[in-house]
Amino acid sequence: MTAAWTPVALARDLPRLGVMPVCVDGIDVALWRSASGRLAAWADRCPHRGMRLSHGFVRGEALSCIYHGWSYGASGSCLRIPAHPDLEPPEAIRVPVHRATENNGVIWVALGDQDNTPPALTGLVPLRSVTVQARAEVIRSASGLAIGADGIARGHLASIAVAVLMQALPEGATVLHVLAEPADPAALIAASRAVEALRRAAESKGAA
Amino acid sequence: MILYDYILSPDCYKIRLLAALTGQRLTLQAVDYHPGGEHRSAAFRMLNPAGTIPVLQDGALILTESAAILTYVAAMSGPDWLGEDSPQMRGQVAQWLAFAHRLSASIGKARSHDMLQQPADINACRRAGVACLQELESALTEQRLMGFGYLAGARPTLADIACFPHAMLAPDGGISTDPYPAIRLWTRSLRALPGFIEMPGIHRLHELKPEPIGTAGQD
Repeated sequence: MTAAWTPVALARDLPRLGVMPVCVDGIDVALWRSASGRLAAWADRCPHRGMRLSHGFVRGEALSCIYHGWSYGASGSCLRIPAHPDLEPPEAIRVPVHRATENNGVIWVALGDQDNTPPALTGLVPLRSVTVQARAEVIRSASGLAIGADGIARGHLASIAVAVLMQALPEGATVLHVLAEPADPAALIAASRAVEALRRAAESKGAA
Repeated sequence: MILYDYILSPDCYKIRLLAALTGQRLTLQAVDYHPGGEHRSAAFRMLNPAGTIPVLQDGALILTESAAILTYVAAMSGPDWLGEDSPQMRGQVAQWLAFAHRLSASIGKARSHDMLQQPADINACRRAGVACLQELESALTEQRLMGFGYLAGARPTLADIACFPHAMLAPDGGISTDPYPAIRLWTRSLRALPGFIEMPGIHRLHELKPEPIGTAGQD
């Protein structure tokens, strides 16, 4: 089965040794980047006690749970259990791994097999990711952005050309990942404020 | 310098944190805030009529507002934390010290409601807390677009110390911090500062410490 790619973060917001929680098709995912820069998207649940792995920490090429320090390597298999340092963890202790890729400054995740690549967004710089308590269609009608053949909303915010990727969250919320044409900081700040204005407009429209 | 302190209070923690970052020695005087309610006692109100914590006592000087205490500790032991001596910077730092009161009145109140069973209009506190975090996220985003990592520019100041604890502890009051990438990166930078100290709910960056080598039979 082929699953769709979901935009989950701007690459700039996940530095090396960083871990953050994201949501893909209602599934909680721990998105992290190793010391060497390798990107990974795993089920956000430690197989030991169910703690969110996105609360954990990255050392080298492994992600460790904040609760009891169990650490997991690139394939999702358990590498080390600190309370039993002489034990080689059984193969069965493994975190489910999803597909993650980085393309033009955006991180995408797919829950199933995936042959195609996410849409290209060349010539743009990351602006910001903002969570809006409104559904995508409400945001689109509040924004005046047009949907292109590639399914991406494009238009202008504070006179800056932008592309807006929408990530659906449970309970009708949406994350907007906004990229903008290169511009000076003052122009990008104006665009960032326009994203906030769009959030407020969509939320009041959704509530009405 | 005596700090009348409660371990779980974000407003007391920000004083301990600044003191640690600037090398200022504090004598901690624990106040039985919960469940004892010692801050409301007649004896404590002789010190601070408002019956609030933190309180800083240094000789004859008694300060009872956390913004004032931060300013005093910085002036005594870490003037760099006041920001450079320009009208713009002084204004910006004062802006965020005042903003931190809104964090205490929203996120802080939601947290006291959920953790210490203190009365509050919890939905109103959470709505106001989310609005504060959205403002903080936007301000930090703008700083990043200008190439800066902190609330008042390129180096951390009192502005950051005043706002950091409540931003970290918002989940204790039922307010998610998941939606704020700029806040996440900013709190990481602050937790990586030399001399950083923890409080319950705010831990250091484990990745900056070497991996402990465990011994069988421990833990």
